Amino acid sequence: MKSIFIAFDQAYYEQILPILSNNHVRGFTRWEEVQGRGSKTGNPHYGNHAWPTLNSAMITVVDDSKVKPILEALKKLDATSDQMGIRAFVWNIEDGM
Amino acid sequence: MSIYESAVKRPIMTALIFVAVVVLGIFSYTNLPIDLLPKIETNSIMVLTTYDGASASDVETNVTKPLENSLNTVSNLKNITSVSKENRSIITLEFDYGEDIDVLTNDVRDKLNMVKSYLPTGIQEPIIFKFSTDMIPVMLISASADKSLPALYKILDDKVANPLARIDGVGSVSISGAPEREIHVYVDPMKLEAYNLSVEAISQYIRMENVNTPAGNMDVGNETYSLRVQGEFKDPSELNKIVVGTYNGKTIFLSDVAKVDDSEQERLQESFTNGTQGATIVVQKQSGSNTVKIADAINKALPDIKKTLPADIKLNVIIDTSDQIKNTINGLTETVLYAFLFVILVVLAFLGRWRATVIIILTIPISLIAAFIYLYGTGGTLNIISLSSLSIAIGMVVDDAIVVLENITTHIERGARPKSAAVHGTNEVALSVVASTLTIIAVFFPLTLVSGMAGVMFEQLGWMVTIIIVVSMICALTLTPMLTSQLLKLDPNHSKAFKIIYAPIEKALDKLDSMYAKLVNFAVRHRKTIVGLAIGFFILSLLPLKGIGTEFIPAQDNGRISATIELPVGTRAEITKSVAHQLRKNWQKKYPELDMINFAVGQASSSNVWGSLQTNGSNIISMNMRLIPLENRSRTLFQICDSIRKDLDYMPEIAKSKVTAGGGMSMMGGQSTLDLEIYGYDFESTDKVAQELAGRFAKIPGLTNINISREDYSPEFQVDFDREKLALNGLNIATASNYLNNRINGLTASLYREDGDEYNIKVMYAPEFRKSVEDIENILIYNSQGQPVRLKELGKVVERFTPPTIERKNRQRVVTIASTVSGTTIDKAVAAMNKEISQVDIPSDIYTKIAGTYIDQQDSFKDLFSLLLIIVMLVFIVMASQFESLTYPFIIMFSVPFAISGVILALGLTGSTLNMMSFVGMIMLVGIVVKNGIVLVDYINLNRERGMGIIRAVVSGGKSRLRPVLMTTLTTILGMLPLAISHSEGSEMWKPMAITVIGGLTVSTILTLIIIPTIYTMFASSKIKRQHRKNKKLMLENNNID
Repeated sequence: MKSIFIAFDQAYYEQILPILSNNHVRGFTRWEEVQGRGSKTGNPHYGNHAWPTLNSAMITVVDDSKVKPILEALKKLDATSDQMGIRAFVWNIEDGM
Repeated sequence: MSIYESAVKRPIMTALIFVAVVVLGIFSYTNLPIDLLPKIETNSIMVLTTYDGASASDVETNVTKPLENSLNTVSNLKNITSVSKENRSIITLEFDYGEDIDVLTNDVRDKLNMVKSYLPTGIQEPIIFKFSTDMIPVMLISASADKSLPALYKILDDKVANPLARIDGVGSVSISGAPEREIHVYVDPMKLEAYNLSVEAISQYIRMENVNTPAGNMDVGNETYSLRVQGEFKDPSELNKIVVGTYNGKTIFLSDVAKVDDSEQERLQESFTNGTQGATIVVQKQSGSNTVKIADAINKALPDIKKTLPADIKLNVIIDTSDQIKNTINGLTETVLYAFLFVILVVLAFLGRWRATVIIILTIPISLIAAFIYLYGTGGTLNIISLSSLSIAIGMVVDDAIVVLENITTHIERGARPKSAAVHGTNEVALSVVASTLTIIAVFFPLTLVSGMAGVMFEQLGWMVTIIIVVSMICALTLTPMLTSQLLKLDPNHSKAFKIIYAPIEKALDKLDSMYAKLVNFAVRHRKTIVGLAIGFFILSLLPLKGIGTEFIPAQDNGRISATIELPVGTRAEITKSVAHQLRKNWQKKYPELDMINFAVGQASSSNVWGSLQTNGSNIISMNMRLIPLENRSRTLFQICDSIRKDLDYMPEIAKSKVTAGGGMSMMGGQSTLDLEIYGYDFESTDKVAQELAGRFAKIPGLTNINISREDYSPEFQVDFDREKLALNGLNIATASNYLNNRINGLTASLYREDGDEYNIKVMYAPEFRKSVEDIENILIYNSQGQPVRLKELGKVVERFTPPTIERKNRQRVVTIASTVSGTTIDKAVAAMNKEISQVDIPSDIYTKIAGTYIDQQDSFKDLFSLLLIIVMLVFIVMASQFESLTYPFIIMFSVPFAISGVILALGLTGSTLNMMSFVGMIMLVGIVVKNGIVLVDYINLNRERGMGIIRAVVSGGKSRLRPVLMTTLTTILGMLPLAISHSEGSEMWKPMAITVIGGLTVSTILTLIIIPTIYTMFASSKIKRQHRKNKKLMLENNNID
C-alpha cells in the first residue's frame, strides 16, 4: 500500500477525479484550499491580492501497482499547461484499519 | 457554495432566472405610461375668499391680513403670497417640494377654522384649491363655424364638450369664444318714463307671464285629470305681446317700450384661429392622470364627434401636449438604441471575439429591462429622466462583465477547463467587482435622498442607475461565468474576413500599448515636470469658466409660443380685435415658421374655467402660436420669440406685452424668469421705484418681457351718492346702486326654456341709452313711495382711477418686476440687475429682493453642491476600505480636478451652460472617473506585491491596464454620445448632462493615465526613502549602542 499526495491548481480537480476512477481508486481525502509555491518555476498559489490562485491537495492510498499509471496520467495532465502545475509524492503506508 | 459556483454548475436555473427577469421586465415595459417628466407633486395651495362689496384695501386689511397671519404658522411653508382685489382675496401658500400636500391641506383647513370667527360677517367661506401642473391644459381644439356660429356654444357643449368630458382622466372641458345665447329686452328709458314704468316693473311682468303652474287634480267620470297652466314662452317673440300696463285706457305691450333681441351675451371673449372666428375648446386633465393616454383617447374620439356636427363646423387640434411628449420620448429611445449599438462595437473591437462580445452585451438588456420592473412597481413613467438613466447606465453595465470575462479568459488560456476557469476566475475578481459597483452606487444612491426640486427630478435617476448597476453586477457574477463556461473556447477559429477586419485594430491597439508604456516611462522619470504641466493645465482650463453662464433647467424648443398683449386699459374690444388681426397678418407674412395663430380678445365669461383663470379683458389679446416641426425650420423658438418681442416693442399702441417661449404649458423647460421684488407699504413710492428700475432693466441686454406686476390704475366712472339726499328721499346706497346695476348691467327677469336648455332673459337699457355720463345721471330711481328721483339729484358721476390690486408676499406689500432671460444667462443678468439697483436711490423703508427661477436655481445648486461633497466623501470611503489605505484613494482622487477641467472645456467649447442637468453630470463623473484610477492603482499594487520595483510596476501595470481602462471609458463616452449630439425635440434637457460627462471623462481619463502613475511613483518613492532613512537611523543607533 502506498499513499499518493497530490498538490495541484484548484482548476485541475475535475480532471484529476477521472484519473483516479479510471485506475479504480475509490478512496481519497481532499483539502479544497491550500497554499503553496513550486520549488523551481510557476506562480505561487496564495489566494491573496498578488497571487489570487489557490491549490487543492489530495491524498489517496492505493495498491502499489496503481501508483505508476496514476503518476503517469498526472504527468500527462501537468504537461497540458505550464502555468497551473501538479505535483505528486508517494509514501509507504505502514498500517491501516 | 458561492453564488458563481452554483451559477456555473446549474446553467439551466441561472439562465431561466434571467429569462424570468426579462419577461417580467418586458411585461412592465409594455404597461408603462409615457410622460415628459417624473410626476411632480404640487407644492402650492390657494385660498380664495370672497367679500362682496369690499374694495381692494378693505379686503387687504379685513380678510387677507388676518388669514395670512394665521396661515403663516402652517409648517413647511416656504412663501405666502396674496392678491387682494375688489371683492376677492387670493392667498397662495408655497411649500417645499416633496411634502405631502394632503396633510398640508388639512393643516391649512384647521388654521382657517381657527381664524374664521375674526373675519367680517359679510365674507363667504374660504375655498381651498390645490395647484399642480395638472391644471395645465392637455389639448386645445379650435372650432370654426360659418352658418352655425350663433348656435355654436350649444352645439359644442352638447356634442363636443360633453363626450370629451366623459373620457377617463379628463378633468374639465371649457369652451371659450363661443357666444352663449341670451334674450335681451332693451328698454327705452324715455318711453318707460312716459308710461310710468321701470325696469324692475317690466321684469316683474315678464316673470309673472313666464310660468307653468300646476292647479291640482280633478275627477271626471272614472278618470283623474291634473290641471295645469302652461304659461311659459314657447318662442322669445311672445315676449313682445306681454301687457305691461295701461295708459289713458290703452293697453301697453312690451313691444311699445322695448325691443326684444334674441342674440348672444353682450360682453364676451371672441376667439380666432388663423383669422377665422370660432371657439376654442380647452381640455384639462384630472390630477394624476396621464397626458398621453388622455390625448390618445381624445384623438380617437374626435373623428366620431366630427360626424355628429353640422357640416360647417370644423374642429382642428391646435395644441396637443402629448405630441411633444411622444416626440421627446421617441427621440430619447432612439439615442438609447444608438448607445447600445456603439457599446457593442467598442466591446467587439477590444475583445475581437464575437462569442465574448455576445456574453458581455447580454448584460445590457437584462439589467436595463430589470429597471422597468422597478418603474412599473413604483408607478413611474417612461420619461426624460428614466430614459436618460438608461443611456447613462448603458456604458457602465458592461464594465463588471468585462472584468469577469477577462479574468476567466486568462484562466482558460493558462490551461484550465472552462468550468473551473469560470468559477475560480470569478472568485478572484468578485471582490473588486463589488467594490467598483459600490463606488457607482455611492454616487447614484445619494441622488435619491436629495430634497427640493432637484430631489423630485433625480430620485428616479438615482434609483434606476442603482438598480441597473446592482443587476449588472449580479449578472457579471452569475450569468457571465455561466455563459463563459458554456460558450467560450480556447483559440476559436476565426474566419478569414474577420481576420482581415480585426488585424489592423489589433495592430493599432498593440501600438497604442507600447506608446503608452513609453509615455508612462518618461513621465515617472520626470515627475516634477509632469506635475507642473498638469497643474498648469488645470489652471489654464479654469479660464473659460468666466464665459460659462448658469441657468436652472435648460429651455426647450417645443415649438409653442404664447403671448399676452395688453393695450391701454379701457380700450374697447373692437379696437383690440383689429390690432390682433393686424398682428396676425404681419406675423404670418414675416414668420413662415408660424403654423397656426389662435387668439382670444375680450372678457371671459364666468362659466369658462380656463379663461377666467387667465388675465382677460377688453384690452387684452391672448395668443397661442404653433411653429412647424423643429426639423423643418432654421430659426429656433427662442430666436422667433425674441424677434416677436422686438416687433411688439415698436408698436406704440401696445402698453404691455409678454411673450412666453414654450407656451407656458409646461412647468419646466421654459425660459428662465428673473424677478425683482420691491417691498414697501406706500403705493406711490414703491410705484416710483418700480418704474425707475423697470426702465433701467429694459436696457440690460438679454432681459426681455419686463413687466411690473401692479396693474395699471384703471379709469372708471363712480357714482358718489349724497347720503343726506338719499335719506331725504327714503333711499339708501344699496337700493340706489341696485337700480343703477339693473339698468346698465341688466336684470335677469326670468329664464327662457327651449329643448331642455335655459337661457337668461335680461332686461336693461338699450345700448344707445347707456353711452354717456348724462345717460347715467338721468336714470330714474324710485323711492319706497314709488316716486321717481333722478340720479343726478342724489349724487354725482365722477371719473376716477381705482387703486390697483394689492399684492403681498410674506405678509408685506410687494411690487414685482418680472422679466424673461433670453440671450444671456441668469448669473450675468443678476449681476447687471444688482448694478442698476445700486445706482437707484431707494427710500429706506423700501427693500428689494431678487426672485424667480434664480432662487430655485440657487436652492437646487446648494442642494446639489452639498450632495457633491457627500458623494466625494462616500467614494473616498469605499476606495479606502477597498485598499485598506488612505494614500491610494488620495492619489486616485487626483482624477477629479481634471474631470472638472474637462467639464469646463466641454461647456466652454459647446457654448452650453452650467445647469441642473450638467451639475448632475458632474456628480456622476466623480464616480465614473475614479473607477479608472482604481483599476490602475490596483494593478500597480499587484505588480509591487509580486516583487517588482516601483517604476517597473507602474509601467507594466499601466501597460496591461490601458485596454480595460480605454474600453470602459469608451463604452461610457459612446453610450452618452447619442445624447450629446441628438437634435430631437427635448434634447436641450439631456444634452448638457451628456456633454458634461463626455468632456469630463475624456480629459480626466487621458490625464489620469499619466498623472496617477506619476503621483503614485512620487508617493511610493518618498515612502521608501523615509523607510531607508529610518533604517539608517536605527542602524546608527545600534552602532552607537555597540
